[in-house]
Amino acid sequence: MSTPSGQLGGSFGRRLPAWARPREQELPGAGRTRLTETTLLLLVGLVLAIATVNDVVRQVHVNHRLIADLRSWRQYTGHAYKNLSVEQDFYGHTTRDIVCGNVAPGAPKERTQLCLVLSGPVVAGRRAARGGFYLPAKVEDILRYRYACYGSASSAGLCPR
Amino acid sequence: MSAAAPSVRGGAGVRAEWWAPALAGLLAVLLAAASAEIVIDGAAGHSALIPKSPPIAGWLGGIGERLGYRVFLIAVLVSVLAYAGLLALARRARASTISTRAALALIVVLHVIVFVGPILLSTDVFSYIAYARMGVEHGLNPYLHGPSSIASDPVYVFVGHDWRDVATAYGPFYTLLSYPLALLGVVGAVWGMKVLALAASLGTLALTWRCARTRGLDPLWAVLVIGLNPLYVIYGLGGAHNDLIMLLAMMGAVALTLARGGREHEVASAGREAAGAAVVVAGALVKATVAVLLPFMIVSRRRLAPILGALAALAAGAAIGYLAFGIHGIDVVAALNRDAAFVSTDSFATEIAHLFGKPGVFPVDHDLLKAGLVIIVVHLLWRTWRGYDWVAASGWALLAISVTSTWLLAWYILWPLPLAVVTRDRRLLVATLAIQALFIAHQCAPLLAPVA
Repeated sequence: MSTPSGQLGGSFGRRLPAWARPREQELPGAGRTRLTETTLLLLVGLVLAIATVNDVVRQVHVNHRLIADLRSWRQYTGHAYKNLSVEQDFYGHTTRDIVCGNVAPGAPKERTQLCLVLSGPVVAGRRAARGGFYLPAKVEDILRYRYACYGSASSAGLCPR
Repeated sequence: MSAAAPSVRGGAGVRAEWWAPALAGLLAVLLAAASAEIVIDGAAGHSALIPKSPPIAGWLGGIGERLGYRVFLIAVLVSVLAYAGLLALARRARASTISTRAALALIVVLHVIVFVGPILLSTDVFSYIAYARMGVEHGLNPYLHGPSSIASDPVYVFVGHDWRDVATAYGPFYTLLSYPLALLGVVGAVWGMKVLALAASLGTLALTWRCARTRGLDPLWAVLVIGLNPLYVIYGLGGAHNDLIMLLAMMGAVALTLARGGREHEVASAGREAAGAAVVVAGALVKATVAVLLPFMIVSRRRLAPILGALAALAAGAAIGYLAFGIHGIDVVAALNRDAAFVSTDSFATEIAHLFGKPGVFPVDHDLLKAGLVIIVVHLLWRTWRGYDWVAASGWALLAISVTSTWLLAWYILWPLPLAVVTRDRRLLVATLAIQALFIAHQCAPLLAPVA
């Protein structure tokens, strides 16, 4: 079973020492190796499956929350705008989101923007706005541009001092 | 008793199988219908799933509705279920259930459906065309500049935003292959890319058939696993990805190293083995990943022919690449290093980071993943040295590359599939299909969220 093949390797292979010659079949012990490999493969597969399911659940929760955020902003402001920007708290691992949109009709970020800080659970498809701030027109949501902060936006240090 | 038993089994088999051809037909119709739904809706107009594209499938435009995530994911899930059902039926009792002619016809039908439709799910093909037009129409080296350097070119608006400043990561052989298509205009080049992908896919299937038959495996089963695979058809062929050309080279190399008409363990002539190694190198000059086959081929064969073949092809490829594009045209290491730093949300590395409460992949994770990949490859080389099938070892290495990559795209998990169906180690096929299933499951979150 472990005899080196005379066919493999060509003339170069035949000049190799016996232990180094190419083999038609695996050396003894391959069964045990295979068992170990299969066990490891199953464990890796299990971890990947758990990670995938966890990520799908996480995405579903995030999607659910973001849809509620958009709906909440529209209800609080009375504007049914489509183009709203949502910023999640990636680094703090909280479910606090900041949703920004124009205070008057116009292209995205072409008007003064009202940003709401939304947090807490989704209740009846909406979340509570516990604070907020404004942004001037034509700027990105960067700390130094935020003004007229109130509520949790002030207490959480989301605005310049 | 002993005489009666076979007849009872035979009778039960006949009774149990009367429905099988009908079920196979139904599953085939479902598979074709799901693919057609994606293509027809994709042709209807702008969608997050269909990249902005020149009008190549306008004649389909009035039939469907704009392709949304839900419809797309449902169609993909239907395809997956039909695919699994057809494979189960083909495995169970192919001769009486699925005729060779009908199975091959289904593969051709799926290919035609996707071929006539719009580009699906990826802007990559427009990057390929942009690089070709940079060289042919604008006299720019695509290894030094990104498509943003030809912002006035008509293809520029179709290139993905993330790739507009990125020089090509593909090999010089592929870049030169794409150059003639630049002369056809943008629409002509898109069709040219689609023809290339179609031809590469059909060539890969033909070579897979040949390899499976040479190795004493069921060739029809082998091509069914690839040719009906939803990721292969919808993502790979639908996006006209050059990965299909890489797969063609990969299977060409495997076919060359198998003895002509011989048994599995009979060895091809030195010339064929040298040619096989040269074809691997040519494939790596399309997309570098396929180079991973070379060490396994050499360790398995332990003869000079593949080494000399690889060196000759490498020298020729490097000379052509250098003459055409300068030193940057042959610096594949820089391109690989750059791409290895990318992170996609679909990668398993990102999923595991989320599982452990991290927001994403950090530099240290990249190092850990690379170390893990090196350990796996060294283990596989050791197994190959001890006589394990080098084709299976190469397939495992390609699977490990895709699983440990932080930049995972659907067509990357197609790489090991053709190798998996021409090896006797069934674990590779199971693992590859399982990884594909997890990838598709990960796409399904929008199906579970409430409608906005």
